[in-house]
Amino acid sequence: MSVVNQVESPTTGTEEVYASAVNYFGHVPNLVKALGSNTNMCNSITNFMIQSLGEGRISWAFKELIILKTLKTMNSHYSYGAHEKIARDLGVTEAKLGDMANSLWETSDHYSEAERLVFHLIKQIGIDANDVSASLWEQLKQHWNYGQLIEINAVITTFLMIGRVGDALGVSDPVLFTKDIS
Amino acid sequence: MAHLPYVEYDQADQVTKQIYDKTEARFQMVLNIFKITGHAPEMAEKMWEIFFDILQEGDLSWYEKELLILKSTKMGDCFYCVTQHEAVSARLGVSPEKQADIVGVVYRTSPHYEANEVAMLDLCSHIVLNPEGIPKETWAAVKQFYNDAQIVEIVATIGAYLQVSKFGDALGVELEEVWAGHEPVLFNAEPPNSKAAQGHFDHFVSQTPNA
Repeated sequence: MSVVNQVESPTTGTEEVYASAVNYFGHVPNLVKALGSNTNMCNSITNFMIQSLGEGRISWAFKELIILKTLKTMNSHYSYGAHEKIARDLGVTEAKLGDMANSLWETSDHYSEAERLVFHLIKQIGIDANDVSASLWEQLKQHWNYGQLIEINAVITTFLMIGRVGDALGVSDPVLFTKDIS
Repeated sequence: MAHLPYVEYDQADQVTKQIYDKTEARFQMVLNIFKITGHAPEMAEKMWEIFFDILQEGDLSWYEKELLILKSTKMGDCFYCVTQHEAVSARLGVSPEKQADIVGVVYRTSPHYEANEVAMLDLCSHIVLNPEGIPKETWAAVKQFYNDAQIVEIVATIGAYLQVSKFGDALGVELEEVWAGHEPVLFNAEPPNSKAAQGHFDHFVSQTPNA
């Protein structure tokens, strides 16, 4: 059960963001409803979440793998199952998902060198964000451009935030998208 | 040196320029953490809105939010964030003595902290360490003082500052030159756990005039 009341219907100041959520996800996720008592936070966090979940400078499918690896690394549970479903819907194979969940990605044929380097970044941010080596960044820059690297770092740290907020508030969203995204 | 170049105003696209203008208006300068996001303006635009919302009076006072920012970023050993918010919180009236007592669990017995602030900071520590293990007594204490809208703002502020601190630290974003000579409070009260953060701290102190 959520720590705070989940606001089922929008109030003054949240009408637009609830409508955006319905338009984007097909419904209003429980996290958005839990944020609903605070107009500013509901608006800005939901809008950022919508911005993060979609095609961008990197593919949405790879973003989902980043999100799953981040949630696992940070021991966060909020929406983990939902993101597994999104990844599958976007074409990520079971074998690739399976190799993500432990350390097999380090040698798995299902992962490119570029993807492996991103997972090393997630792992290091989980250990100590102050200690990401220049060598790792140099390797990342050989595969990803600056805009992609900012997006990658933003997706990692955003879902570190979303996981913390969802878990702390005791929110469950077993399905994030009720509309077809495949 | 940061791991990616900063995007200066004259290199920025229209969206990024608008973000920089808003930042300058709010904070009197464009911080390096904003400049590094100029490589992905569409993401930066949405991300920074969260922080523009937090850094003002809300359902929760800005003063209380500054305490949460200091606590959460200190626990994450983010020297960049802590330094910025030692200054911001001081402007809002948080004394250096009160800032120093936020480390560890010193705030619990400090004469500078009220019961509502202790409850809020206890919650902050649990969220940073293990959000699934927040004791019911901690929630009960928080709910004595704060309503739902305020609890959302407490949790969102902690989450957002975990986000931005890891974002900036991973990229090696450096403190701006304007901070030269700043006397650190929190990291003098309690050294960082991270060896890398200790290195950043030692480097900063060694650059301080007359150090």
